Amino acid sequence: MVRSVSKLLICTAIAAGALATAAIAQPKGEPIKIGAILSLSGPGAGLGQPERAGILLAEQAINARGGINGQPVKIIIEDDGSKPDIAKSKAERLVFDEKVVAMIGPSLTASTGAVSAITNAEGLAQITFTGLGPKIELTYKSLYHVLPPQELNARAMLEYTTKALKAKRIGVLHDTGYGQVVLNSLNALHDKYGVEFTAVEKFEVGATDVSAQAAKVRAANPEVVFVIATSPVPFRNARQVKIEQPIVSAIGSASYDYIRGIGEFADDIVFPEFVVGEDPKPEQKEFVAAFQKAYNALPKNFEAAGWDSAQILASGIAKAGGAKATPKEIAAAIRGVHQGAMAKYDFSRDDMTGIELSSYVFSKVVKGKFERLPFVAK
Amino acid sequence: MVLSLWIQAILSGVTNGFVYGLIGLGIAVVFRGARIINAMQGDFALLGGVVAYLLVHNLGWPLPAAFLAAMLSGAVCGMLVERLLIRPTARRQGTDDSYLLVTLGGAFAVSASVLLYFGRDSYVLPGIGGDQSVDVFNAAIRVHALALIVIGTLVVIALRWFYRGTRLGQAMLAASIDPDGAQTIGINVPLVRTLTFGLGGLVGGLAGMLVTPLINLHYEMGLLLTLKGFAAAVLGGLTSPFGAVFGGLVLGLVESLAIVTVSSGYKDVIAMTILILIMIVMPQGLFGRRGRMGG
Amino acid sequence: MSSRPIAVTASRTLTIAAWIAGIAVWAALPWLLGRGSVDILVFAGLYTIAGLGVSFLLGQCGIVSLAQSVFYGIGAYSTAYGTTVLGWPIPACMLAGIVVSGLVAMLVGTPVLRLSGYFLALATLALAIMGHVLFLEWDWLTGGTLGIGGIPHLSLFGFTLNTPFRFYYFIWPCAAVVLWLHYNLLRSRTGIALRAMRDAPSAAKVAGIRVESLRVRTFILSAVLGSFAGSLFAHYVSFVSIDSFGIDRAIGFLLIAVLGGARSISGTVVGALFVTAAPNLLSRLGEIHPLLFALLLIVAVIFLPSGFGGAFADLWRRLGGSLRPTVKDGTP
Repeated sequence: MVRSVSKLLICTAIAAGALATAAIAQPKGEPIKIGAILSLSGPGAGLGQPERAGILLAEQAINARGGINGQPVKIIIEDDGSKPDIAKSKAERLVFDEKVVAMIGPSLTASTGAVSAITNAEGLAQITFTGLGPKIELTYKSLYHVLPPQELNARAMLEYTTKALKAKRIGVLHDTGYGQVVLNSLNALHDKYGVEFTAVEKFEVGATDVSAQAAKVRAANPEVVFVIATSPVPFRNARQVKIEQPIVSAIGSASYDYIRGIGEFADDIVFPEFVVGEDPKPEQKEFVAAFQKAYNALPKNFEAAGWDSAQILASGIAKAGGAKATPKEIAAAIRGVHQGAMAKYDFSRDDMTGIELSSYVFSKVVKGKFERLPFVAK
Repeated sequence: MVLSLWIQAILSGVTNGFVYGLIGLGIAVVFRGARIINAMQGDFALLGGVVAYLLVHNLGWPLPAAFLAAMLSGAVCGMLVERLLIRPTARRQGTDDSYLLVTLGGAFAVSASVLLYFGRDSYVLPGIGGDQSVDVFNAAIRVHALALIVIGTLVVIALRWFYRGTRLGQAMLAASIDPDGAQTIGINVPLVRTLTFGLGGLVGGLAGMLVTPLINLHYEMGLLLTLKGFAAAVLGGLTSPFGAVFGGLVLGLVESLAIVTVSSGYKDVIAMTILILIMIVMPQGLFGRRGRMGG
Repeated sequence: MSSRPIAVTASRTLTIAAWIAGIAVWAALPWLLGRGSVDILVFAGLYTIAGLGVSFLLGQCGIVSLAQSVFYGIGAYSTAYGTTVLGWPIPACMLAGIVVSGLVAMLVGTPVLRLSGYFLALATLALAIMGHVLFLEWDWLTGGTLGIGGIPHLSLFGFTLNTPFRFYYFIWPCAAVVLWLHYNLLRSRTGIALRAMRDAPSAAKVAGIRVESLRVRTFILSAVLGSFAGSLFAHYVSFVSIDSFGIDRAIGFLLIAVLGGARSISGTVVGALFVTAAPNLLSRLGEIHPLLFALLLIVAVIFLPSGFGGAFADLWRRLGGSLRPTVKDGTP
């Protein structure tokens, strides 16, 4: 009888000790809710899924160090299926039913348009994974971007082409979605850089073979070819129709999956991007190491953007007073400079992004891995 | 315009055309045997490609063996679709639209499963002859594409022999034209229907294995392929495998010629307009029997 | 003056009571549900209108139309462009959209609707593809992939319809009016002509019904509905882009028509509810939700061959509520 009582006492003591330790380590109380709308299915899944990986890692890291001013953070992630109408419905639920204090995402420009109409009306802080979109976004005061405007992406591509490759005649092969947006910016900049687009060919997003378009590009004799698409097909076709010129692509195609899909034709493609996991910049080392430990893979740009969005919101909420902060106060608190893993942002700038050309890292694909090039844009 | 550009356009058009035609072929086979438009045909191809990929990459099987496995898995899938989707619909007096919708649901299901278990990436399958291509006057066509064209043609010939020369083929035709009459003379109509879908699945799996080295395996490719295959099949008259391949060629060539002569942006508008014109001018399709107006 | 059987009077009262209860529930829903759910119901209302166009065309003319997404888009872009760029008043923009859609339907329909069966379905699909490409290419009008933002909200009797709550009380009466007009159309002489054309085409022709013209006119009606719904959609979300007007949207409208039951007008409501609410509810279940929706769709198609509308009609009949005179095959 005495033995069982002492056993019971010992067990209780251990349990109490464990609970106490847990209580000290975990942030406690009502979680601070942040909403996230991402494209986890549909054509945008190639963007949304890496973004989610970064966000979840950040949520874990934030809660591991005690949350925001001691309170846990909960990021509620919804899938918009790459459809802006669904993104809008999810936003209604997150903002008004779940009463999140800030929003992350979406992954695609059209969805951003739909969601920001709601967050802007409420003055709710929204950090999106799309570059500055239609002009109306300039009037939105609480919408911030952690990815560069397409104009900046275009400039990075042109900087490399004109300064490193010293080329003036460019052929473009692009898809009707992401590619079209980048092309519009390229067109706007061609005078400034003194380049000529000798051929511009497009294809639909799900195309099975674009050799005809690629052949047209080759026939125009460019010095450099831009391939802007979210599928490996055009890259393969370009090399197969014997386009031997250097190929420069855009950040949207810079992922290990696409490189794998392009196969042996991927070598020597140049990407203006931000995160080269094989050779990270000093300020990126911590994030890359954490990601590698958690997922056993190297992160790239969209994972880093996901991480940054959550970290920036956490610091903004803390600055605005933690759990008591109103959405509008949070939006105001974020409006400043942030050094993220992907890039350095300045949300007080006109384009609500503030990424500089100098943040870009130029990489070249070598045997399925990315190699950082010495070129730096200014 | 440079000769090599024209040649590239033709090569590209023929390659794409055979891709559409292979899917259209499967749609024609199913329609010929069961009078049902199978919206899952492109997804049979996706499944065939997935099975082949898993066998080649994870288990190290040689390509020919994976080939056979892809066809077999397509056939099994086709038969399962008939038993689990089509038959219950028929038993409850489904209309033509019900069959279309139920196979559409099946297509969504396959696509969603591939996304779930495979992820959103594209996967590469090695082709016949690896990545080599053949040069034709400065234009290029992949060795694999040539193999696809040859195999596609062989399939059409094989199907013709099957329908004309074998008892099963004849039974399929009989069961589709007059089910009651066929049943009366001893043909097991339900079994034949299942086998029809099996054949459609077989052709689909074959198509998938042939097509994926060119376009990469991707969970969304099913429905896109089905749309183009449907267009090819309808152009060909809906019941003729040969017609489907020919219809696919017409579509592929119109597309690529539109790209090089007009503009790549408007290629679909031109292709679709020509499609509609062909349908208006030739109501029985390019190879359908006279009197059958568009099914 | 004949004495009515008691059974008929009783069933009349039952019907009226059911209607009143139904309307009461409808009116109360936004107060009871969260804003996200009301938003879903608003979309269901929009899709009821657009879906009815497809459903009517299918049920009365046997035409499978995949082109409704084009007209939905024309309506949306007309009003988006008209209000943000041209500064026209909203009704004028919506009317412009309807006129353009009607014209397109007439010009395209006249040659194309002469096709039949799968040819026709493919032709409408071809139209949907062409429309989508043109929406993309004509970016001076549509904003291309970037879309058009800042579309003003509708304003009625001094209320700005800028929340799901308010829009709900606007869209559903609109849908009800549209449904009621169709129901009347079915009971009119044109309705009889439509049924004749569908069930006995040769007899119809002999009786002097101009079948070709009737088909085109029904197609135009369908396009007008699509355009109207599209314009309302633009003013609800205040941002439109081409992603909303693709083939998947066209398939969605067709789903509504077939799931709702093509011969049933009110079934369209259930079809629209299914197509909007089901994916949303399922997405709470995580990664597996697209697969679940596909399976649910399959089950719905197999077990409800005449759609939800047909199933309800059967249920109603079995409950004995059909003693009032009904119009065969036009039963709501």
